[in-house]
Amino acid sequence: MIKLTGKKFAKLTLATMTVFSLSSLMASEVSSMDVRKVCDVNKNGIQSVLNMASKYNKIAKKEGLEFMRLGMKTSQYISGTQKSIKNGLATVDILNKKKKKTGTVTTQYAAWRACSFAITALQQAKDAKTTWRLATPGDGYVY
Amino acid sequence: MLLKVVKTITLLMLTSSVINAAEFNTQAEKDRLALIKYFEAKFEDPEKNRNTFFPYSTDEELKNGFITGLKHQDFAKGNYAFNKDGRAQYDEIKEMPPYEDAIEEGEALYSKKFKNGKSFASCFPDTSIGGLYPIFDESRKQVVTIGQSINECLTSNGEKKWKMSKGNMAKLQAYFAYETMEAEKKVDIKIESSDAAAAYQRGKEYYYTQRGYLKVSCASCHVQGAGQRVRNEKMSQLLGQTTHFPVYRLKWAGLGTLERRMGGCIKDEGQVPPKSTSDDMKELLYFMSYMSNDMPVDGPDIRK
Repeated sequence: MIKLTGKKFAKLTLATMTVFSLSSLMASEVSSMDVRKVCDVNKNGIQSVLNMASKYNKIAKKEGLEFMRLGMKTSQYISGTQKSIKNGLATVDILNKKKKKTGTVTTQYAAWRACSFAITALQQAKDAKTTWRLATPGDGYVY
Repeated sequence: MLLKVVKTITLLMLTSSVINAAEFNTQAEKDRLALIKYFEAKFEDPEKNRNTFFPYSTDEELKNGFITGLKHQDFAKGNYAFNKDGRAQYDEIKEMPPYEDAIEEGEALYSKKFKNGKSFASCFPDTSIGGLYPIFDESRKQVVTIGQSINECLTSNGEKKWKMSKGNMAKLQAYFAYETMEAEKKVDIKIESSDAAAAYQRGKEYYYTQRGYLKVSCASCHVQGAGQRVRNEKMSQLLGQTTHFPVYRLKWAGLGTLERRMGGCIKDEGQVPPKSTSDDMKELLYFMSYMSNDMPVDGPDIRK
């Protein structure tokens, strides 16, 4: 059993509050973002777009909202693009569940996809808090 | 005198708990009845209801592709309740279903002794339990699926867990489903506390929430989209969606659990699916199964 002293308790509370306030701060900041602008690789540079993707996908993943397409998760698009940049490659391999290559996309496109997926996942979840009832028979769905 | 008082108090407590139990599922019952009403209206006559429910379907498919006039219990067959062509193929395959061996293997697994000499019979003395899961475990305050219960039985007897999606897990569940069907039992999911009602509500929200890069919900395809066609397949309806699992899917060339199917559906929406034992997945299955309440268990079954 861990002994919780006053100092430890204060630290724990502060840490919990920081995590929660950071999450809610980020959730509110993404709702007003224009994905086409903030994820524009030509305008912002590939590294900045990838940083954006990493930052928001971390929250999406934690909330169980991470996107995937063609068998690749957003986090795989991020790591794949970073690996390609490091190796001086212009493309990212699309890998299926068994790690078999099924196609390629440019690093620029992969970065855009990762960034737009990460932010859209959070924006969509926020909207869905109110829209899901509109699809429910007996509730908001009228036919 | 004392005996009379004890009897009265016991009776009062029992009555109160029955009343409370009935209250906790009020919303769920409302949802279930609304869903039955919706699907009965939708499939009463698709051709006549084209503008409301089938705006993109062709004249030919509306005229010749649907079995009409469906009532609540008919929906236990899933998509084959209304899909005329699909039903004909389904009836043919059912004459010699490819999952029969799996039921026998499931029975053998049920009877096989663990290393400690016990067997699944020590955890599941009644084998006709297919319609009772998922349950809400009040002591742990969580939804427990049949797969989770099977794995807990294994680990509590010193055995290794099974994979939740296929293999032995699907085979044993197929045996339970078959026994339940043979016993002519119905789906009977219970919501008996505020915690259970909250879990149901979260599962419902998950089902109706748009997600993934395609921004569709489970309901987009299986409520509003049910009966509509994607390529050459008509999509199944939420009502009766869980009555027949595990299923042998031609696409899988094998048997799979409901968790496996739902994981695939969520991937199709463009989102990483929740783990089979996560609260998200278990609560989703709890909601879906409640919607099939009062329908006959009809598994295992075959699907494309």
